[in-house]
Amino acid sequence: MHPSITSLLLIALSTSTIITMSSYHWMFAWAGLEINMLSMLPLISKEHHPRAVEATMKYFMTQAAASAMLIFASTINAWQTAQWDISLLTPSTPMMMLTLAITMKLGLAPFHFWLPEVSLGTTNSVMLIITTWQKLAPLAIIILLHNSLNHHLLTSLGLLSMVVGGWGGMNQLQIRKIMAYSSIAHMGWVVMILPKAPDLSLLYLMLYIMLNLTMFLIIISTALTKLTSLFSTQNKSFPMMILMALTLLSMGGLPPMTGFLPKWLILQELIYQHQTQMATLASLSTLLSLFFYLRLVFNAFLTTPPNTSNVTKNWRNQTNHHILLPQMMILSLMLLIITPLVISLF
Amino acid sequence: MTYAIFLFGLCFVFGLLLVASNPSPYYGVLGLLMASAVGGGFLVGVGSSFLSVILFLIYSGGMLVVFAYSVALAADFYPEAWGSRSVAVNLVVFLSLLVFVGSGFSWGLSKKGVGEETVDFGGISLIRGDFGGVAILYDFGCSVLVVSGWVLLVALFVVLELTRGQSRGSLRAV
Repeated sequence: MHPSITSLLLIALSTSTIITMSSYHWMFAWAGLEINMLSMLPLISKEHHPRAVEATMKYFMTQAAASAMLIFASTINAWQTAQWDISLLTPSTPMMMLTLAITMKLGLAPFHFWLPEVSLGTTNSVMLIITTWQKLAPLAIIILLHNSLNHHLLTSLGLLSMVVGGWGGMNQLQIRKIMAYSSIAHMGWVVMILPKAPDLSLLYLMLYIMLNLTMFLIIISTALTKLTSLFSTQNKSFPMMILMALTLLSMGGLPPMTGFLPKWLILQELIYQHQTQMATLASLSTLLSLFFYLRLVFNAFLTTPPNTSNVTKNWRNQTNHHILLPQMMILSLMLLIITPLVISLF
Repeated sequence: MTYAIFLFGLCFVFGLLLVASNPSPYYGVLGLLMASAVGGGFLVGVGSSFLSVILFLIYSGGMLVVFAYSVALAADFYPEAWGSRSVAVNLVVFLSLLVFVGSGFSWGLSKKGVGEETVDFGGISLIRGDFGGVAILYDFGCSVLVVSGWVLLVALFVVLELTRGQSRGSLRAV
């Protein structure tokens, strides 16, 4: 792709999210989501092999269907109440439709099938954009609406996608696919807590984006593709593998690291609101995700490959990592010690 | 007028079914043309003549371009019309779905009645609502105009990038 077109698409990608976030009228929110989807398409099919084109088609179909459903919901709302404001979505039918449309956009459980498929067809960096930046616009809409949305629907969709994300990632060998399922599970946490404590949902989203960014920066800089390629990466850059393992444990939510912070706060909030069963279910379903994170960790540095390696151990570390990586690594491992500061940001 | 509008609406949905039942592009474009024509009629019926002209001109113009393009790309030797088996099965399934869903919707609509409401503002202005809306778009709705123009520009580049020729595009005649 020509660099100027790439930059045009990236500008469109970033402005569209801002248009959606700052809009007060359904038409603008919809237009922002459409620009977002459109500018993503050539980025996904940047490599012109058939799988990338297939991934582009899948992305286009789901996102276009979700956008159509969103505009349909807002039209029904305008028909019944003569209001186009986002915050005035009161009738129950459009509200349900809107929730399902946003769910489809985010890749939550019953509509999650596109995300792992798209993840395999694209490059690592595009997958990074899909799992982080693309979540912002739809989440901004439901955070604006969190008071009037159906609580039961959001909560059950959230719990369902936690479980589905955990189970789906269980037997995967492709690292990008594992990351896609982990994204589904994490989005489940974000949506589950949204009706009860929207500030915690924002906190979870921010920390998830941070962890995901770190993980993808590692994947990009070591060019990881599948589980077995971790064996050869061990020889090339051992410290990187240890740090990746720690980041994965942090994503799984183990205590001394950042990933524990949002899960801790959310479980505490659920227990304060007398929803102990839901807290139990949520923490149990995270164990499923933790299992496949642990498999990655095991392959990353806890085991030696069963065959002799073709590459010798490097006597010095590779220096081709991304410039953001050290800072992001520190943030995604050590934020728990400044918990009060992090909470006060939200 | 109510009956005419009802007929237009019925033909509109039927035209879309003709497209959705997946015939060859030659025949599919006929369904789209029919849908745009009766859609224009529907809009005239509820009182927005300007929108109807816009819809018909732009939609059929765009459709004709897409038609020429798809025929150039995917010229079948044995094009499938609605008589061939797979298309006919699709059409029947969609029609029966339409009867079920449509009866539910018409029950919902019967409280309001199609064709009772028009887009006229009841006597507050000299021009119809759709003309007024266009004037507003160019007046204090200029931010909407800018965003819409930006959408179209991005869409143009996206389509050009996706359907690039030679070995670089993703759309190819096989």
